[in-house]
Amino acid sequence: MHPRRSLSLMHALVALSIVALVAACGPGASAAPTPGPTTAATTSVTEPTEPPATQTPPEEVTGDLLVLDWSGYDAEDFWIDFKNTYPNATASFEFGTSDADIYGKIVGGSQADVFHPYTGWLQFYVDEGLVEEIDTSRLANWDVVPESFKALGQFNGKQYFVPWDWGFTSILHRTDHIPTVDSWDILFDTQYENRLSMWDDGPGAVTVSSYIHGYDETAITDEQLEAIKAEWTAQAPLNRFYWAAEPDLIQAMQSGEVWAAYAWQGAYATLLGEGVPVAYANPQEGRNSWVGVYGIRKGTPNVDLAHRFLDAKLGQATGENLVNLYYYGTANGDVMAAISDVTLKEAFSIDDPAILESTNFTPNLTAEQRDAWTAMWTEVKASQ
Amino acid sequence: METQVGRSWRGLRLPALPGFYWLLIGLLYLPIVLLAVFSVNANTSLTLPLRGFTLQWFERLFETPALLTAVKNSLIVATASSLAATALGTMVAILLSRFNFRGRGLLTGLAILPLIVPYVVLAVALLVLFTVIGIDRSLVTIALAHTVVAVPYTTLIVLARLIGAEPQLEDAAMDLGATYPGTLRLVVLPMAAPAIASAWITAFTVSFDEFALALFLAGREQTFPVYLIGQLRFATTLPVLIATAVLLMIGTLTLILVADRIRRR
Amino acid sequence: MPGRPPAGAVPETVTAGADPIPATAAGRAPSRRPLNPRRATFWALSLPAWAILLSLIVVPLLFMFGLSFRPDLRGDLLAPFNPTLDHYRQVVETASWWRQLGLSTLMAAIVALVATAVAFPLAYFLAFRAGRRAGLYLILLLVPFWTSYLLRVMAWKLMLGTEGVINSSLAFLGVIDAPLDALLYNRNAVVITLIYVWIPFATLPILAALGRIDVRLHDAAADLYASPWQQLRRVTLPLAIPGLAAAFLMVFIPTVGEYVTPLLVGGSGGTMYGNIIQDFFLRAANWPLGSALSMIMLVVTMVLVVIGLRVVQPRRLLGV
Repeated sequence: MHPRRSLSLMHALVALSIVALVAACGPGASAAPTPGPTTAATTSVTEPTEPPATQTPPEEVTGDLLVLDWSGYDAEDFWIDFKNTYPNATASFEFGTSDADIYGKIVGGSQADVFHPYTGWLQFYVDEGLVEEIDTSRLANWDVVPESFKALGQFNGKQYFVPWDWGFTSILHRTDHIPTVDSWDILFDTQYENRLSMWDDGPGAVTVSSYIHGYDETAITDEQLEAIKAEWTAQAPLNRFYWAAEPDLIQAMQSGEVWAAYAWQGAYATLLGEGVPVAYANPQEGRNSWVGVYGIRKGTPNVDLAHRFLDAKLGQATGENLVNLYYYGTANGDVMAAISDVTLKEAFSIDDPAILESTNFTPNLTAEQRDAWTAMWTEVKASQ
Repeated sequence: METQVGRSWRGLRLPALPGFYWLLIGLLYLPIVLLAVFSVNANTSLTLPLRGFTLQWFERLFETPALLTAVKNSLIVATASSLAATALGTMVAILLSRFNFRGRGLLTGLAILPLIVPYVVLAVALLVLFTVIGIDRSLVTIALAHTVVAVPYTTLIVLARLIGAEPQLEDAAMDLGATYPGTLRLVVLPMAAPAIASAWITAFTVSFDEFALALFLAGREQTFPVYLIGQLRFATTLPVLIATAVLLMIGTLTLILVADRIRRR
Repeated sequence: MPGRPPAGAVPETVTAGADPIPATAAGRAPSRRPLNPRRATFWALSLPAWAILLSLIVVPLLFMFGLSFRPDLRGDLLAPFNPTLDHYRQVVETASWWRQLGLSTLMAAIVALVATAVAFPLAYFLAFRAGRRAGLYLILLLVPFWTSYLLRVMAWKLMLGTEGVINSSLAFLGVIDAPLDALLYNRNAVVITLIYVWIPFATLPILAALGRIDVRLHDAAADLYASPWQQLRRVTLPLAIPGLAAAFLMVFIPTVGEYVTPLLVGGSGGTMYGNIIQDFFLRAANWPLGSALSMIMLVVTMVLVVIGLRVVQPRRLLGV
């Protein structure tokens, strides 16, 4: 390229980018929306602690709540009750990509007021003093939450977490290739080599093995862990791939690449909706269930606003959106009972209480287990 | 083969050469063409068979403010970080190719170092740094991180151009009375301009689709890749995301082709 | 060089630490300027460069290094702790991780070699045969990377999958009985995908190097009856070496720690060392162990690069 011409090209590029920058930074490009009389929100606003929730009319509640959540849950559908009830308060979001990531960010000094971990990870926050105790008397919607769910958020007799979303884990399978599935050990069936898919997660693998062999998940011995490592190392070639995010799995099952997989019921409902012939197994060892909860970060100045947010999260519209838009269960028992869509009833097995009874809930991990099981899993993958 | 003289030397006359280029272009754009097909298709997932033609995904695109904001954020971050990385890379390249000083090896190592560090690790390291200094996570922190990871590319590209180049032009300029900074400005930089432009585009490319750092160091504002991967959790949003990607691609290609037309007029 | 250098100017590249004001041939000592412009330029360039590189690269990496000795992530991130070598011990003792590191390094070397080799004819085309359109052609190579990598890979999976376009077409034509599983989800797929992704980027430093080759050198070779192939071998290639080396480094170094592509197309058998690191950061919240793993990879990669550049000596390979 002739130097002169390329010089003018360079000038043009620089000019273009400066124009783009200026245009993008023009009016309307503020960092966060601040509709009400709040101060510019770069960190969460410190309001003086309010009197108990019941005494302040909703229109006068102000402030911005910073929520550390999984990407996607920042959509207004998932906090619509909060938005509608408190028109002068706002919610902003920071994002985490996994439970480990969220934990790391909280430990690392995130200023989020509220965060969203899942069962299995809760003990760490309690043990290390990272969560505030929740005053359930401030939660008007607390009664719609089933007792078993409430218990999941309780430690040492105190309520530290508010359950919000939940779902099953089981085997999802294409009925046109595998008509019935009775047990978790289908994941080890060599007959379906290259047509299986396991979730890319060490603790998940340990869970499946525990169900199959009857191990106690909370007390896995070293010998058991070695056995688990050996059997998953042998299982690895049977997978088409390990899935890390539901869309991978959904695309693969829809296209027939994968015939059976460890899956959450969101994938099941999505595929049913697409008309793909799939079924969600009820293995003899029982399904697994996981619950997502919200906790209040210790030391946050917005304790009151956080309580209002959590209360609104349990609201009806929010719960309905969660169920209808993303096929996850809600902790709002009334919403679950009122589900009428056939696909969803199938997915949540609402009409079959026996399933819920045989379901195993994810216990809380210790840090040693978390590390050891992840290390085991990396070795399984590294040995291929 | 006839020899060529002067500026019209055109190298090996192999028809395979342009053929090779267009083959690669075809392979690079094939998935994009596929995505374009699906962006006007009523399918909600990337599987066959195709179902009817529809423009609803593009409509929905413009009705999703979070999506548009994310794209805008990506543009801002990419522009800022690419300019900074190009400036820095050019500076380092000039230092390494035009000066002799004791820290040369160290400077080279430092400029290349970000390449060795996996993004996840760099993300955590920068997070710790920003926490210690007290900078809140935001688009600024993402831009800083992107600058860091782009510097090796910009340095290497500009350096490949400047290294070992004969000093006659610069000497001549200084003989004619130019100061050294003037020589840099009037001789060296224009000579390196194509490489600098390439470096800038590379840095922009590195930043625009970068996910790991953008997620870790994000405050309240998401960039487009972060938004996309978050939305992918929910399969129903896939078509709108595809439509966005296709629209961006069409827009970019149009801009480039128009700019090329104008330039050659 | 005609004439004598004007007072204060420096004719050649000179050690910045040396006295920058030589006596001129005329014998007249040049007037002392407050700051030699070349010196000033050097410092003007150096200070920002060093400051930014040190603060944004070295300091965070030092934090990481310190983090790798931390027993766990409990407590305040900046609180004092008792350093431990346990994580390094664990890495040293886990054979499968070393194997993975070795495999990843080998894969990275293959990817870098092939990508650089394929990029050379492309850069040659852009530098010498594309004429006025070279800039446009170059940008066209890079623009696809502004589309989400994830979406593009999903589109490729549509083509290469078990029931994808290619397999369906081949089955329809009767060429195959059972679908070709090997197109996706294995180590080869990872290598091929990485090569595909890196070729456009590898083109850039090579193009930059080719761009500075004085055309008169080629003309001189032609005048001396060298055929175009000989010109390539004796003139073009040797002068392109800095670009080739830069391209190789640019591709090799980050590919050792690659983890996204193995996740997308590697299947259960195609993971790389970077996935181990990622697992400990994003699945186990074990930042100290992840840091230890990263430090080891960093050291190994740097050692390999230094050894490689010494041993290979690209100039000698081409007999120049």
